[in-house]
Amino acid sequence: MRKYRGDPQGNRERYCGRSHYYCEDPQKSYSYRVKQTREDTVTPPMSEHTYSGSPKTMSVDFKTYVDQACRAAEEFVSIYYETMDKRRRALTRLYLDKATLIWNGNVVTGLDALSKFFEMLPSSEFQVNMLDCQPVHEQATQSQTTVLVVTSGIVKFDGNKQHYFNQNFLLTAQSTPNSTVWKIASDCFRFQDWASS
Amino acid sequence: SYTMGHNSQANTLQRRARCWGIFRRRFPNWSEPVSAAMHISSHQQQDGDLAMSDAHMDSGLRYTPYAIPSHHWRSNLYKQDQTHGNMEREQKPPERRKEGNRQNGTLGSWFKITIPFGIKYEEKWLLNLIQSQCSVPFTPVEFHYEKMQAQFFVENAGIAFALKNISDKIWDEDNEKISVFVTPSEVPYSVRELKSENVEQMKLTMNNQCDASQQALDIQRPPVDPNLMTHTIEMAQNPRRHMVTSLNIPEENKPSVKSAGRMDKGKELQPEKMSADKNTLCTTFLDKSNNINSILELFPKLLRLGGQESSIPTLRGIEAHKKLPTCKGSFFGSNILKNLILQFLQQYYLIYDYGDRKSLLGTYHIEACFSLTIPFHPKDPALSSLCEYFKYNRDIKKLKDSYLRRQLLKYTKCDIVDSLSVLPKTRHDLSSFVVDMWFQTETMLCFSVNGVFKEVEGKSHGSVRAFIRTFIAIPGSNSSLCIINDKLFVGDPIPKGNQSTFSIPMATPSSTCMPALSQEQQEMVPSR
Repeated sequence: MRKYRGDPQGNRERYCGRSHYYCEDPQKSYSYRVKQTREDTVTPPMSEHTYSGSPKTMSVDFKTYVDQACRAAEEFVSIYYETMDKRRRALTRLYLDKATLIWNGNVVTGLDALSKFFEMLPSSEFQVNMLDCQPVHEQATQSQTTVLVVTSGIVKFDGNKQHYFNQNFLLTAQSTPNSTVWKIASDCFRFQDWASS
Repeated sequence: SYTMGHNSQANTLQRRARCWGIFRRRFPNWSEPVSAAMHISSHQQQDGDLAMSDAHMDSGLRYTPYAIPSHHWRSNLYKQDQTHGNMEREQKPPERRKEGNRQNGTLGSWFKITIPFGIKYEEKWLLNLIQSQCSVPFTPVEFHYEKMQAQFFVENAGIAFALKNISDKIWDEDNEKISVFVTPSEVPYSVRELKSENVEQMKLTMNNQCDASQQALDIQRPPVDPNLMTHTIEMAQNPRRHMVTSLNIPEENKPSVKSAGRMDKGKELQPEKMSADKNTLCTTFLDKSNNINSILELFPKLLRLGGQESSIPTLRGIEAHKKLPTCKGSFFGSNILKNLILQFLQQYYLIYDYGDRKSLLGTYHIEACFSLTIPFHPKDPALSSLCEYFKYNRDIKKLKDSYLRRQLLKYTKCDIVDSLSVLPKTRHDLSSFVVDMWFQTETMLCFSVNGVFKEVEGKSHGSVRAFIRTFIAIPGSNSSLCIINDKLFVGDPIPKGNQSTFSIPMATPSSTCMPALSQEQQEMVPSR
């Protein structure tokens, strides 16, 4: 298996980009560069493994979507939970204006409500133990690039006992010429009673 | 491969080979008799499992009062309808009220009547059926659906006894027996809140308007009625029976209450408007502010019952800053979606559990995706009880290899059903399901199902697993759902008491964090 080499230039830009994320400037929103993470190579892979029965063009597109989805998911999840734990007030920047959160069956819609909700929620310490993602087909999303991200782990809210949790996100891409901004269109969170053993 | 004919009970069901009751004409692509799971599960209920003491029921009961299931989902389904149809039952125990002046003038003692899997049946049809067999007339109070059950209350031990007697003596359209369970109950919430003088006032005003309305209303209703109006009609015809239920109508059922409001104002019903096409009602349905006003005018008590606040109604009453919001049960967004999703789940798991999983091919989109994740086992995977799932485990937190990441994402419906077919055989406990419908547009529906299942063959025969499965669906043919993303987590449920013994390692999550925690069976070791 070919190993992807670290790209120093990409690393530096990514790092710089990261410091961008933590800026308190309300104009800035979470963003990262799709094409410049350290797992990437400069040339997109063209001739690798195809899926049996799938035409080659479809498989190339699909592989791209899968890879993109994985990068988006990893990057996003790390930023999301860190923001949730350490910079709670900035969390709503990761959501679309009309995003919805269903939190243990409680429905919260729109940025104002989300803002109040996150403010009211006790401080948290999240630990993500499992992560998976899938690209969502354009037929569902009407060609809006979307990724399903699913996490599982443990959370401790201040003043409450520890809980296992599962969370689902629909991330939708908003592209600018230089980068892709992923935002949450919908978020579903539930405590779980099962073990991570 | 597993077939349905392995016992005589399944043979009987197989001979029938009809789709489940209400939706029988809607889903011709389902080849299995979808009533089988219901029948078998009902029998499990009769054998003493969990009819009443549902371990998954929250202490704060939730329900979504009912509206007629509609098969016109394509037009109604993907409205941006975020209505929250649940209502919270108060936690504090009610004081016993003397109700005097009730149906037969006696002081009431209340009983809860439960129909397991009653969610299959439309309210009016079910109640009519029960009444037709029941030797005494009864007035159902707070009819509602709780997960898979239908429930209502009656006030009188004699009536409760009579209802109990008809258990398994009534049948649905598929000749499945319907069971009736009866337990003593507290006074229902709505009755506690209602003062009897208000009740009398309501009865009078609604009765006055009944005659005019009945001329225009179609009294003959088949069990299946796509028309949301039916609820309104029932109220007009049976004001006494429905007046208590109407107090608890959540936002999504407002059209009915609006009509009641108009009656109460002393205006004559306008029958032609009442029997107009559904579009009129849909407009009314969506006009929430008007309906709120009607409710408040009629029932000032409702000011206390909530639902009007535009910001975060479900978080009302949280005083201390540090409190978590109350955990609630399933959220469906609307009754239409609820019926659609529940019906899908019942049919899906019927085949998944009892049939050949390859026949799920028709459920999936040609370019659908599926992946499975289990909790990480740093030790030898063969030792883990989830080892049969391990080779499909896709967890990109630990798995960094791009090739494997792609391989483990099953793509195209053929690959998906092939993968599903080799996963262990299961029996899902539908009564354990908690569902969140968390995103909808005209072209897409996302929902997640939490629940448990049992493995019924192989090394882990008898093991109970917990799962969460997220489906993304697009509209399919014949008003069905077509799955385009399917994401499954499987894990082991832990006994509730053990949570407090966990230490709290709390590492800050990041993508560079070392993933391999060495974990004992039920301990967590700090990662730094």
